[in-house]
Amino acid sequence: MTVFDVYLQQVINGLNLGAMYALLALGFTLVYGILELINFSHFNVFMVGSFVALYTLEAFGLSGQTVILAGLPLVGVLLVTFAVTMTVTGTIGVGIERFLLRRLRAVKGPAAMITTIGVSYILFNIVLLTVGADTHNFANPLPTVTWAIGGASLRLRDVLIWIVSAVLMIALTYFVQYTKIGKAMRATAQDPEAARMMGVEVDRVIMTAFFLGSALAGAGGLIFGLYYNFTSFLIGFTAGLRAFTAAVLGGIGNVPGAMLGGLLIGLVETIGSQIIGASWADVIIFAILVLVLVFRPAGLLGRIAPNKS
Amino acid sequence: MITRRSAFKAAAGIAAATALGAPHGALAADKVIDVGGDFSFTGADAESAQRVANGAIMAFDDANKNHEVPGYTFNLIKFDDGTATAGQYDPAQAATNARKMVSDTNMVAAVGPQMSGAGKAMAPILSAGDLAIITPSSTNPDITDPKFAAQYRPAGKPIYFRTVATDAYQGPNMANYMKETLHVKTVYILDDSGAYGVGLADAFQAQATKIGLKVLGRDRLDPKAADYSAVLTKIKSLNPDALYFGGVGQAGVKLAKQSYDIIPKVIKAGGDGMQSADLLSGAGFPAVEGWYATIAAPHVSDDPQLADFSKRYFARFKMQPDDYTITNYDGAWAIINAVKAVIKAGKPVNRSNVRDALQNVSFTSLQGPIAFDANGDLKNKVISVFQIRKDASKPLNDPNAQYKYIGVAPQA
Repeated sequence: MTVFDVYLQQVINGLNLGAMYALLALGFTLVYGILELINFSHFNVFMVGSFVALYTLEAFGLSGQTVILAGLPLVGVLLVTFAVTMTVTGTIGVGIERFLLRRLRAVKGPAAMITTIGVSYILFNIVLLTVGADTHNFANPLPTVTWAIGGASLRLRDVLIWIVSAVLMIALTYFVQYTKIGKAMRATAQDPEAARMMGVEVDRVIMTAFFLGSALAGAGGLIFGLYYNFTSFLIGFTAGLRAFTAAVLGGIGNVPGAMLGGLLIGLVETIGSQIIGASWADVIIFAILVLVLVFRPAGLLGRIAPNKS
Repeated sequence: MITRRSAFKAAAGIAAATALGAPHGALAADKVIDVGGDFSFTGADAESAQRVANGAIMAFDDANKNHEVPGYTFNLIKFDDGTATAGQYDPAQAATNARKMVSDTNMVAAVGPQMSGAGKAMAPILSAGDLAIITPSSTNPDITDPKFAAQYRPAGKPIYFRTVATDAYQGPNMANYMKETLHVKTVYILDDSGAYGVGLADAFQAQATKIGLKVLGRDRLDPKAADYSAVLTKIKSLNPDALYFGGVGQAGVKLAKQSYDIIPKVIKAGGDGMQSADLLSGAGFPAVEGWYATIAAPHVSDDPQLADFSKRYFARFKMQPDDYTITNYDGAWAIINAVKAVIKAGKPVNRSNVRDALQNVSFTSLQGPIAFDANGDLKNKVISVFQIRKDASKPLNDPNAQYKYIGVAPQA
């Protein structure tokens, strides 16, 4: 491998990681943008999503590394699995909002945030106690197709992860920018009181944000499983923390910022590992985060909200 | 303070004392002595923990059934040092377990832990409590090294015994094996940030440098991270002949899976942390095919002499024993023999006497001669090398079937 090939490969690796972080970061950002609440249950909604996806694939008779699909059956199975996973995790997100956080919305202080940490641990332990602590092998129905670009290699699953993430992010951006409820979300984010006076159903807007964020986390869980071919009750924390960092780096509450932050953190992780060492990855990531926040406290694309009450 | 539990213990003690006055020979009259057992039942090493712990369960059950120590019944109390949040062994939990063991006044000795990271946390507490422990598989050399006596045995006497060799042999001997048998010239070294993994990789690296293997780099994996593609890409770009990994299953499973994708042709080897059913079921074939792993004990699982043991073990636990099942069985027997020696000498069966007796036990067990040196290390040190070679006729997650014994690694 030439030096160029090595860095090209690390960029590919970084984009894979970044796409996953970005999907997760969006969930943090959507909820924060509207409620100014850091939703830590998101970590483990992602993890639950990977298990929902695992069992959905098993329901199709797919488990282990043996069955490989191609063409329409592959697309069909993946579409259904994405739909099921995203619906289930989205519903979990809505449930968390409806039954726990809504009651706390009027409470000042960190009660709601602490509740989300609690919910995170509850989900974590439910999975631990029901499916166990072992690493679970994920079905791998994707054909192993690899393209060589010089000395670097690009796999079908790399491309797939980019396409799926891009499609989901574009759909989300479109939703937030152009649909009625999307506009209502932005209005609520800017000024909930005014939005309410203008006839926006704030409860519905908040629920939608939770549904979308959690559904994206579910999609992230499925992508994680397809990409790494395993899942376990533990995967939420490392990925969740990186994604949260990505959201803050990009400017929490800002949708394009979350995507940018996710990609940047993915790239910093792989290229930093190449130049300095994998053991330093966290140090580099958080050093960059601190530096960015010192000079741009609202994150790369974030703006300090003018008059939040 | 009398808690409900200690009150119960006191009552049980009185009952036992009263019973002792009853005619001898009746089983109910046996004095029950507690033996602790610390293993990593939760997390990535759960399956091997069960396999290993069963060795001690069998030993004590055999001893009780055959009235090996007349008048005494061994009661194995199991502790789990794995936690959900760690996903594998957790040193903090291991320390808590050690405190619980020490506070059980009826406990005379313990078996375990499986993991060196747990052992490092437990040793100082056990030393203060004068409670001896015999590990079947924790191989980090520091714990018994007199250089670190102030840290791991502050009370002076050795309390950490082993029925395995240490990484001071395991890592270096594998470096020798790579050079002499596999004709490796360049190597990249990884560890999993744990006490065992770092120590093993350090020992390997020191010997590799000494015998002229070129070390192209050394890096550290976060066992909780999912993605090692960045470091593996870096390794690919350096193109080493071999990769050596010091670590256990949590990082090992992902490393095996991803290295198969990125550096399929590089020779890959690990220590006893890579010798497990968890690796076979977690990473699976074809990813694990060809990996080398070592065991810091003689390989005896196939010995015909053990056929009876294996048969009984399988009948009872519905799984096959592995080499660390046997070292644990041997460790439990060391305790049984020590208790016997204490009684024979006419001394009271307590921790301090059992520890002193352990220091002098000498018997032949399943793996061979068991005797400890002045630091608690096993006198007989053997490192066995294995390679994963798929045997489709046997269960693919059975380590006894899929790890082929290759031989003994040359002594450093």
